[in-house]
Amino acid sequence: MSELRISSIETRGVPGKKRYAMVIDLRRCIGCMACQVACKAEFDVPLGVFRTWVPYKVVGKYPTVRKMFMPRLCNHCDDPPCVRSCPVEATYKVEDGGFVLQRYERCIGCKACMASCPYNARFMLPRHRSYTNITSVVDKCTFCHHRVSQGMVPACVQTCVGRSRIFGDLNDPGSEVSYLVNTLPTQVLRPEEGTKPHVFYIGADRNHTEIGRTIYDPSDVMNAERVMFEKNQRS
Amino acid sequence: MGDYTVFHLMPWSGAYAIYFFTIGISAALFFFSTRSWFPTGQALVPIRTSAAYVSFALLAISGLLLIGDLSQPMRFLNIMNPAYLNFASPLAWGGLNLISFGIASVLYIKALKQNDEKNAKFFGVIGSLLALGLPVYTGFDLTVHQNRPVWNTPLMPVLFVAMSLVSGSAVAAMLAKGKEAALAKLRWHMLWEGGAVGVMLIALLGTTAYGGSGSELTFILMTSGSLGLIFVGLGILLGTAAPIAVLLTSFGRQHAGILAAAGLLLVGGMALRYSILIGGQIVQTYF
Amino acid sequence: MLEMTRRTFLKISAGTTAAAVAVPKVLHAMENELGGKDFSPVTLAERLAIPTNCHVCNIQDGAIAFVENGRIVKLEGNPEHVSTRGRLCAKGNSGMWYTYDPDRILYPLKRVGARGEGKWKRISWDEALAEVAQKLDAAIKEDPNTICMKYGRNRSGGVIDRFMNTLGSATVINHTSVCESSKKIGMEPTWGPDIETPDFANAKYILNFGSNIMEAAYFHNPYSQRITEGVAENNAKLVTFDVRLSNTAGRSDEWIPVFPGTDGAVALAIGHVILRENLQDTDFIDTWCNVSTAELKAHYKQFTPEWASGLSGVPAETIERVAREFALTKPATTYTYRGPAKHLYGSYNEKATMMLSIMTGNVEKRGGYCMPRGMGWPQPQPEPPKPAHPSAMAHPHEYPLAGHKVSHLLPYFIAEGRQKINVHFSYQDNAVYTNPGAQAYWGKLYRDEKLIPYYVALTPFMGEEAALADLILPDCPYLERWEPESMPNSLWPWLGIRQPVIKSLGESRENRIMMRDIIWKMDPDGKRGMKQYWNFKDGEDYMRQHFDNVPGLKEAGGLDFLKKHGVWPIYGKLNPRTGKISDRTGREIVPEYGLHMKELSASDMTGTSVDGKGTIMKNGKAIGVRRNGKNYVGFPTGNRLINIRVDEWAKYGFNPMPTFKQIPWHKDMKDDEMVLTTYKINVHKQARTASVKWLAEIMHSNPVWMNTETGAKLGVKTGDLVRIESTVGHMVTKAYVFEGIHPKVVAIPTAFGHWEYGRLATLKLKEKEAGEFGATDDADLNNVWWEDKGVHPNAIIPTVVDPIGGSQGWYDTVVKVTKAGPNDKYGDVEGSWEKHLVAAKETMRYAYNGDLHRKMHPEMASWAGPASVKPGEGGGHH
Ligand SMILES: Nc1nc2c(c(=O)[nH]1)N[C@H]1C(S)=C(S)[C@@H](COP(=O)(O)OP(=O)(O)OC[C@H]3O[C@@H](n4cnc5c(=O)[nH]c(N)nc54)[C@H](O)[C@@H]3O)O[C@H]1N2
Ligand SMILES: Nc1nc2c(c(=O)[nH]1)N[C@H]1C(S)=C(S)[C@@H](COP(=O)(O)OP(=O)(O)OC[C@H]3O[C@@H](n4cnc5c(=O)[nH]c(N)nc54)[C@H](O)[C@@H]3O)O[C@H]1N2
Ligand code: SF4
Ligand code: SF4
Ligand code: SF4
Ligand code: SF4
Ligand code: SF4
Ligand SMILES: [Mo]
Repeated sequence: MSELRISSIETRGVPGKKRYAMVIDLRRCIGCMACQVACKAEFDVPLGVFRTWVPYKVVGKYPTVRKMFMPRLCNHCDDPPCVRSCPVEATYKVEDGGFVLQRYERCIGCKACMASCPYNARFMLPRHRSYTNITSVVDKCTFCHHRVSQGMVPACVQTCVGRSRIFGDLNDPGSEVSYLVNTLPTQVLRPEEGTKPHVFYIGADRNHTEIGRTIYDPSDVMNAERVMFEKNQRS
Repeated sequence: MGDYTVFHLMPWSGAYAIYFFTIGISAALFFFSTRSWFPTGQALVPIRTSAAYVSFALLAISGLLLIGDLSQPMRFLNIMNPAYLNFASPLAWGGLNLISFGIASVLYIKALKQNDEKNAKFFGVIGSLLALGLPVYTGFDLTVHQNRPVWNTPLMPVLFVAMSLVSGSAVAAMLAKGKEAALAKLRWHMLWEGGAVGVMLIALLGTTAYGGSGSELTFILMTSGSLGLIFVGLGILLGTAAPIAVLLTSFGRQHAGILAAAGLLLVGGMALRYSILIGGQIVQTYF
Repeated sequence: MLEMTRRTFLKISAGTTAAAVAVPKVLHAMENELGGKDFSPVTLAERLAIPTNCHVCNIQDGAIAFVENGRIVKLEGNPEHVSTRGRLCAKGNSGMWYTYDPDRILYPLKRVGARGEGKWKRISWDEALAEVAQKLDAAIKEDPNTICMKYGRNRSGGVIDRFMNTLGSATVINHTSVCESSKKIGMEPTWGPDIETPDFANAKYILNFGSNIMEAAYFHNPYSQRITEGVAENNAKLVTFDVRLSNTAGRSDEWIPVFPGTDGAVALAIGHVILRENLQDTDFIDTWCNVSTAELKAHYKQFTPEWASGLSGVPAETIERVAREFALTKPATTYTYRGPAKHLYGSYNEKATMMLSIMTGNVEKRGGYCMPRGMGWPQPQPEPPKPAHPSAMAHPHEYPLAGHKVSHLLPYFIAEGRQKINVHFSYQDNAVYTNPGAQAYWGKLYRDEKLIPYYVALTPFMGEEAALADLILPDCPYLERWEPESMPNSLWPWLGIRQPVIKSLGESRENRIMMRDIIWKMDPDGKRGMKQYWNFKDGEDYMRQHFDNVPGLKEAGGLDFLKKHGVWPIYGKLNPRTGKISDRTGREIVPEYGLHMKELSASDMTGTSVDGKGTIMKNGKAIGVRRNGKNYVGFPTGNRLINIRVDEWAKYGFNPMPTFKQIPWHKDMKDDEMVLTTYKINVHKQARTASVKWLAEIMHSNPVWMNTETGAKLGVKTGDLVRIESTVGHMVTKAYVFEGIHPKVVAIPTAFGHWEYGRLATLKLKEKEAGEFGATDDADLNNVWWEDKGVHPNAIIPTVVDPIGGSQGWYDTVVKVTKAGPNDKYGDVEGSWEKHLVAAKETMRYAYNGDLHRKMHPEMASWAGPASVKPGEGGGHH
């Protein structure tokens, strides 16, 4: 493949290596939130933090109005700044597959990786959790490495009601993700950051994936919720 | 993007700004103390000891702040574990720098106490280089995040060095306790370094205002938005422009004037660090 | 047919159990499997998989529960299930929190203190059973019908009816009239089934009237899968009529806002255009319907697009365009859910919409409007006889066509003394929250010890209803129960099972066990003849009696097959490349279409007679219809045809033909008046999910939606407090002002604003300790960050009864909306018992024997009046 490779850890197109990717077909996403909840269950993800989330936007003027959903998760970047910025290699990349993963027992909780991720894909685990005793370290989507390595799709893909999420090996020219990425126009989030995201969207409108104007007019976006969140999540 | 109940917090809270502040002062005071051993720094002899002690105290406080801010404070030693170390991370370098600076400080203070000029000079120079590294790495720590407006400019390390020196001279001026020569020297420092900070801020505002949607929004938030009062009001006007103006008047050559300017510069130094730290993070919480 | 998968092959060849401890090597596979297995992300150990059936909502999707260290940690769709195809919705994915709700009730509770005061005493099952048995005995002595059972979701497979029949009471009240009953009544007399099963995946045009299928409806999960397939893979056009931008409307190719309650007019006008332009399927109408194309054309002349436009606000051009698109694009289907039906004359609206699929001949076609396919199972024998006397409350005489009852008139009936109650049971039914009037009406009824002397709630949760009970018997949530299941949620019929995934927690007992125990207490030695109907060891034994003799299933292994697979039959394998079920050859399985065209066999035909209209009669029952010399089974109606004209309706002075009635009080609404609508959202299930943390986190409050134009007029911005006033009460809530709603409509979803249902639903996590009733705490609740629980609108929604279908007119409430005043507080809700009674009385004036009935039906001037029909005659469809 003629992909320009800058960093030595990139595995897209490297012979003999897998490069898993997710394609999210926004034409099929109905915003059902099944993915978001399935992911919570899979990992006992605590309240207030998300490995994946599905924001929406209402666009247009009455009566021509539409709702756009935009599932989000870690992009398992081929050149991930989070891996670069971790002082102790607690976040690292699995070469075969391209997963960006965490070593929980090593993480010191400096949050440098969070600051460096352009996608807000990382979060600090709170002190309390239902039944898993990994807490107070940074966590994120793992592309369900524990399932994928056992021949299963990720949990969010498994339950996706709209079959909007498709998962597979992009280095395998016969996979469905290869087919989609090679035959349809796809978009990635914030390509200008040079991270080489491996979550590809079909039908994402750049007008909606840019940082929005909602920032200047926060009252319009249920600001009360945000204020509540910031207040109670900090403590 | 959307109006939904999934929100994001800033990874680095305001507490980091206090750390930036204290570590910057610590570094500069060490530098001033060291300078006093050299001919051009004669004027600073009166603050040699106090600056060294305050520097060390602030270093200790900074270290505790930094460790306390980790969600796993007990694991701070991981940063020194060679098996874990990631040299691509400025934080890793920063950790090593901080520790070696601490060692250099101890050795320097020991020499200072024994009035051992040779060793004091030796460890002073080593320590000063390491001290210079502290604001440099702090700046790098921000710069490397290519996705962050305000932070992602080559200016950051230089700006942090300048801010370190300004805040350091302001504290040093307070330590100088009316020693005219020292004050004059420090006034000179405050003036030039304050000026340098001012110039860099103008450059920073320029790159932010013209840096694409995320940067432009950040510019709006930092100037007229929620951070406007802190960044422009306290940081630029009251904390940088005003003290420079005071220092340029005849009052600014007097003892009281210098101290007033020093006070303002400290307020400004804290406000600038805070708003630069926070400013670089606001917009992304909406993404 | 056991296919050797790549993984089983690897496992066998490895010869050891793969207890993975190190990070496993990535396997080299083409496509990863879509489901059926799960692993712990921490230990990498495989989680134990047990198939069961989801019941977080009432759609009943096939599921698998995964268990780790004895705890249910994860749920997913059953990949062998033809309808669910391995997927669950957001609610289904969080179903384990019904089981692990820290406020769950794990032992019998007896009220101490006043009703609703919240003081409870733990008692033993034996004490509880003795008390209930004694109350029931006394009631039976007076009149068995004084025992009332009010149930909501009842998936017990007949256990509740068995219980009430054993007691001899006919006072069994479901919740269907607050649900969708006018949809059912609009459809049943016309073509038989109470619901359609559109073939969305193969349709080219989908015309959706007021169903929010991408969030709710029957059948959200399986149908959303197929609609997205239709839209994305088959290029179908999806057009949605709704009063607000539901997710379905927002994801449709076209959202057409309508004024509330006017879908019927729009549908009739679409029909008018189709018939005027001769775009109908004449052959289908003339062959299969009881009205000819010519008659239909004459009848539809009156329903012009201009007329409908005036009522609905939908431009006449839009109506004409949609009519042409719908009629000319084949295959096409309509779909509806509660939007058109939940109005005063909802049955008429439903009928008008289904006419479009009928007149274009899309019925039972690939990609069209198909009949539901379900499966039954035998009941354990012997069965108790039906009660001796009908209950005046279960089938009120004013509503002879309302075959699904009129449950929401219960407080009115009890207050007026129509039926005395001695013992009241509630089962999976929270009328105090979910019914019109809510706390102001039902709450008052349930608190009144004169009207309801003894109230037993059968429930695992302290809902608003249970909080008013005298005794609470702890039922099990669905992951701990045995239940038979079948739902027509795809074009392939199936039988499924709900089986306990873990042993029931605490002292909770599933419905059939707890009801058996009550009966055994009443008739310990079987002398009263009651015990014989409750002759089973446990839930599993009961299931054997259901399943072990189902033809076909029996050969496959009966109950044991279902325990292993969760569903029967298995039509194929989930194809990881397509997400669809493929047969052995790798092709997608194809359903059977044209059920009505199945021909009767020679043996079917023996002993039959054929009447003038071609109906084939056998033993006094219509079993088919003769058309063009062939004997078809036809449709499951009285005459085996589609009855465009429903003669039964005419008997009671209702228009038997497709028609529309405007809601009288919508006619001259003032400028400052609006219609309040209420709806469901994707992540909640009516009364029961506010304490499910993952769902509550996504949505925990429900500001009232308002159009930007309306907001500007009222001076209201998002977040501002508004006061909403109806004829029966008022409420104060926050506004959400945006573009996605009709300017004359305000909308508030249900599922929020609880005042009971545990500490999370009421956001009283700090006020009380977890586990008040024996359950274990969830440390994660320390992370709850929201402080807003929303406001529930039902207290200000008055009772409205569709005189035909008996259904509640949820979407008809006229309200005045203003900026909140200085004394208005967020969360204020006030309703009046008296005013609710007045509203109930008022709405009964539209009943066939009420004084407004004739006025509403000038076209039925020749009807001889209510005296012409004997009470009890007619009767609906059950
Ligand atoms: N997520 C979820 N799914 C569920 C349920 C749940 O609680 N949550 N409940 C289940 C049950 S019991 C039921 S009955 C179904 C109900 O499923 P649906 O009927 O699909 O859902 P509702 O929200 O009751 O109403 C549907 C829509 O009718 C609209 N509407 C109101 N008035 C009118 C009108 O006059 N015309 C038109 N065209 N539209 C109108 C509302 O805005 C709403 O979007 O859902 C089932 N599925
Ligand atoms: N405002 C507004 N109101 C509505 C609607 C609306 O759209 N808007 N929708 C209406 C519709 S369509 C319907 S169908 C009704 C539904 O109304 P209901 O029939 O009341 O149904 P649910 O809310 O599903 O659950 C009722 C109760 O069941 C109990 N329960 C939960 N799980 C279990 C269990 O496992 N076992 C037992 N024994 N009990 C259990 C809980 O106490 C819960 O409170 O609501 C109606 N009300
Ligand atoms: S999305 Fe963020 S967390 Fe994920 S790999 Fe990229 S930079 Fe790292
Ligand atoms: S928070 Fe943990 S994973 Fe992130 S950079 Fe720091 S040590 Fe690495
Ligand atoms: S891939 Fe796995 S971890 Fe990532 S969002 Fe999906 S379910 Fe969550
Ligand atoms: S499960 Fe699929 S369809 Fe549903 S919100 Fe997630 S991505 Fe969209
Ligand atoms: S729609 Fe969701 S909650 Fe309802 S049965 Fe299906 S998966 Fe369960
Ligand atoms: Mo319902």
